[in-house]
Amino acid sequence: MSWRAELVAISAFARRNLQMASRNVFLVFELLFWPVVGVVGIGLMARFLQLSPEATSFILIGQIAFSTVSICQLDVAYAVLYDVWSKSVKHQFLAPIGVRHLTAGAWLVGILRALVVFTLLAALGWWAFGFDALHAGVVPLAVFLMGCCLTAWSVSVIVCTLIMLFGAKAETAAWASVNFVLTLAGIYYSVAVLPTPVAALAAAIPLTYFLDAYRAYHGFPPEFARPILVGSVLAVLYVVLSHWAFVAAVRSARRSGLLLKLSE
Amino acid sequence: MLAIDARDVAKTFRSGVLRRRETVALAGVSLGVPRGTIFGLLGPNGAGKTTLLSIFATLLLPDRGQVTVLGHDVVREAGAVRRRLNMASGNASFVWALKPPEILAFYGRLYGLSGRRLRLRIDELLEMSELTAHRRVAYNELSTGLKQRLALAKALVNDPELLFLDEPTLGLDPDVSVRLRERIARLRREREMTIVLTTHYMREAEQLCDEIAFIKSGRVLARGTASELKRQIRIGDVIALRLDPPDAPWLADMAGVLRCTAVNGRIECTVDDAEKRLAEILAALHAEAVVVKDIQVREPELEEVFVELAR
Repeated sequence: MSWRAELVAISAFARRNLQMASRNVFLVFELLFWPVVGVVGIGLMARFLQLSPEATSFILIGQIAFSTVSICQLDVAYAVLYDVWSKSVKHQFLAPIGVRHLTAGAWLVGILRALVVFTLLAALGWWAFGFDALHAGVVPLAVFLMGCCLTAWSVSVIVCTLIMLFGAKAETAAWASVNFVLTLAGIYYSVAVLPTPVAALAAAIPLTYFLDAYRAYHGFPPEFARPILVGSVLAVLYVVLSHWAFVAAVRSARRSGLLLKLSE
Repeated sequence: MLAIDARDVAKTFRSGVLRRRETVALAGVSLGVPRGTIFGLLGPNGAGKTTLLSIFATLLLPDRGQVTVLGHDVVREAGAVRRRLNMASGNASFVWALKPPEILAFYGRLYGLSGRRLRLRIDELLEMSELTAHRRVAYNELSTGLKQRLALAKALVNDPELLFLDEPTLGLDPDVSVRLRERIARLRREREMTIVLTTHYMREAEQLCDEIAFIKSGRVLARGTASELKRQIRIGDVIALRLDPPDAPWLADMAGVLRCTAVNGRIECTVDDAEKRLAEILAALHAEAVVVKDIQVREPELEEVFVELAR
């Protein structure tokens, strides 16, 4: 496939996700209501418990990361779910495209929506609770957001893989998986408080390191050495592994007939 | 030259975890579809028609056998095959909130179309499918007939050399079906497209298809043109008689008469060979002083062939 054709195929999924998002009334809830409720709830709890500004920033970073990763990963999952819900899965897999086009196109829209949510929540956090997202500067923030979006990519591609393996019944993974990952990665706490076997799992999640690195800029000593490097290596590794798993799942769906069952 | 060359294709579906169930969908199908023809796959429900079509279209991997589509192996060179084919189903469905031009644009981009070329193609397909007036209507608000037209338009977005139509007129009103059939026939005529279609409607198959294959229980039972099939199956010709007096039950006992049934005041005798038996029957009727008021000789309908094969 030429580069032009690659970009056109990627843009097909990006445009479709944008079109669907623009017609989805629940988008307001996804983008505004739940993320804002989350930040306000956590911020007020911090105020009630009289937490220090650093501790408030610590838990707000976790809450904002949760919304950012959720929104970004949902877009990629939607790229498959729209076709599952409308029973049109076979049409896109009949076309001469790879799963990379689907994931990349949807992920680009996911990044866009995640940036909107992050900006909104960071502004709210700053206005209501004095949280300064830019405290450490633009580069650490950009690295943190990259970590969130790369984690969202691999989580969502695993969700797509599960849908291709188990059908529509796996769709709840689209919403459940991010909660699971964020709980392990230390959403409101340091991973040091996790039981040893769970901490080992947490150490395998890239977001754990990006949260650690970003929180370090807000006055918390890092738990890990070279968190950005380790987080980036893990993130890239998971992107490759999850892509491979999705390709294998689509092949398995072609073999088992699930691809057709999802279209009937 | 063959558009599709399938040899010994087999597919078994497996389901259940604790109680493993196996359903044999195809049990060694060999089939060749010549380029530029309309080829019909007929058979009862669960015969394996859609499975075979899906293997040809690279949506399903066969367990055994080899399939070459437009010169490419469907398993090893699936990408090359996909570029040159497309598919429309009678029960097609697309993302509910998108409008017809958006749906066509989405699939057009998946086939590498963009910019002005894509816009022109969309306009052409909307016009050809008489969907221009409905271009601002969301997919879930379109009628069944319009959805079907859109499915066919989507299947033409990449100007395919090979088109698969799975029950294309399923659930459509008769007048809409007639127009869709005309459109399918025109596609072959004007674009020399190879079309493979599955259908339950014998009239549709007889009217559209150059060749037909009957599939049952995952095997091809018969293959040929509609008239060849009627001859192959040898279910006999029909001699329909209007008599005075109207009843002649002894006709059924004559040599070469397979069965006689009374239909709307007529007697329809299925015979092994109308040319040979007609004179004998007329002579017998004359001898019994029965007046023949009307007589018709016809080949069996494709539907009768279907029923015979599906038994």
